[in-house]
Amino acid sequence: MFLAIKEMKHEKLRYGLMIGMIFLVSYLVFILTGLSNGLSNLNRAAVDSWQAQSIVLNKDAQINLPQSVISNRDRQVLKNKGAQISLLSGLVQNQAGKKDSAQIVGIKTNQFIFKRLKVTSGTKELHSKQAIVASAFKTDGFKLGDTLKIANTQVKVKIVGFTNNATLNMVPVVYTTPKTVNLAKYDGQQTTTLVNGVAFASKKPTLGTLKDSKLYSAEQYINKMPGNRAQTLTFNFMIGFLMVIILIVIAIFLYILTMQKLPNFGVLKAQGLPTSYLVKNTLLQAALLAVSGVLIALGLVLITAAILPAIVPIKIQITMILLSGLAIIGMAMLGALIPVREIIKLDPYQIIGG
Amino acid sequence: MANLELQDVKKVYGTGSSQYEALTQINFKANQGETILIVGPSGSGKTTFLTIAAGLQTPSAGTVKIDDKVLGTMSVKQQSQLRLHKIGFVLQAYNLVPYLTVQEQFTLVDKVKTANLTASKFNEMLAILGLTPLLDKYPNQLSGGQQQRVAIARALYGDPSFILADEPTASLDTERAIAVMQLFSQLAHLAHKAVIVVTHDTRLEDYADHVYELVDGVMHRLK
Repeated sequence: MFLAIKEMKHEKLRYGLMIGMIFLVSYLVFILTGLSNGLSNLNRAAVDSWQAQSIVLNKDAQINLPQSVISNRDRQVLKNKGAQISLLSGLVQNQAGKKDSAQIVGIKTNQFIFKRLKVTSGTKELHSKQAIVASAFKTDGFKLGDTLKIANTQVKVKIVGFTNNATLNMVPVVYTTPKTVNLAKYDGQQTTTLVNGVAFASKKPTLGTLKDSKLYSAEQYINKMPGNRAQTLTFNFMIGFLMVIILIVIAIFLYILTMQKLPNFGVLKAQGLPTSYLVKNTLLQAALLAVSGVLIALGLVLITAAILPAIVPIKIQITMILLSGLAIIGMAMLGALIPVREIIKLDPYQIIGG
Repeated sequence: MANLELQDVKKVYGTGSSQYEALTQINFKANQGETILIVGPSGSGKTTFLTIAAGLQTPSAGTVKIDDKVLGTMSVKQQSQLRLHKIGFVLQAYNLVPYLTVQEQFTLVDKVKTANLTASKFNEMLAILGLTPLLDKYPNQLSGGQQQRVAIARALYGDPSFILADEPTASLDTERAIAVMQLFSQLAHLAHKAVIVVTHDTRLEDYADHVYELVDGVMHRLK
């Protein structure tokens, strides 16, 4: 501890550069983690806000809600169970002509999805041709009381409330009644309300015998969202690669620094200073460098997330960031083991000479 | 009584045609209260002798004993502990940790070992070596001679039973060199240390109780 801290204080530039390097890579890892979370959240925020644990979809729909239609037979079996979802993807336009993509989700007010909705402004009620919409619409200039026309239909809905965490498949959600969705979809030509899926608050709900549908976990459903897996894998690959870079950078830096210090360490070992003392100091130095770099990156990433425009889909989850930080520190310690090996192997006689 | 003894020690380097004998049949004993000087030209085996005496090298043949304990039977860790607690080393180069001040060089010893010099003895030693005004300096702010004196002080700070010094006066002027030898002599006679100094500096012979000459690995007693 003593040697490690004294050396870092004396060699400020050298160790400052090293902390800077760890900070930059950590910052990049945290930003990527935040973006990965943010994008993933855009896919799944609505499902998470429902706290749905499972969902029944048509078994031929490849676990895809828009492609799924619950058959009449199964709809009867699932009647009054879970929360029925009717879905229509499309564009909405307010009276000022402003357009936005939307997932128009029809839900019943007596079922758990509606009950769990948290309205941030407006009222929590939903009648025919009314809508509670994602806060993202507010950012785009939509207001309470605005009338939204569902594109390519004659159906108009009035915004009665805004809600947070309402995106599905990257697109903001417009919650309305199933009948309104049906009206928009079939222009009043179909009287039976179409149900795309039925969500459940428990993992293993009691279902009757389903013929054309199947129960999937919420995670299965989210993982099967178009592009979700490719996106997550890409981010995970980048983060993993950066972790390896950290390991290599720390190992190289500490190796070079340790090699420069070997003559001194040789003399100290000759004087009886325990190898364990030198090893502990080297490991502690690596830990101090990594922790400093990670903490600076953590602070800066929180500031970055706060000042970035809302359009950037970054979501900082402290637990995820702390886990990434711990992984970086772990990698740094792993990198420090290479120079430690040199200290253990060091024969003081080789330094003193004969 | 503390003593360091080499019995029939031989050290051979290399193999086959490149083999050469650095030390030949060395029998040597240093007792508490003695200052011993080993003189010899460069390449005569002086440092090899010193490193074998401290257990940093294993002899090709023979035994080394410190306080009647055979070094060859000790583990590396035990030898390291023995050096830390019993031996004060003064080496030719790389003696000081570059990022520690003179004061901190001693603090480092405190970190790994208790029972070091008392404050009064420490201050007295600093005064003799002329180091009192240099305590806040880093090694790169000191001359070669000052660095060597700090290295000597650090070796003595742990209050070792044996002081092994390799060319300790190489960077010192005559006055300082004599002061250092007088200090070694005082430590031997008053503090009952065994001091072994290897050097090619014949100015120091008058301050030693015994003088040995080492030439081509063969040791002769001169005094």
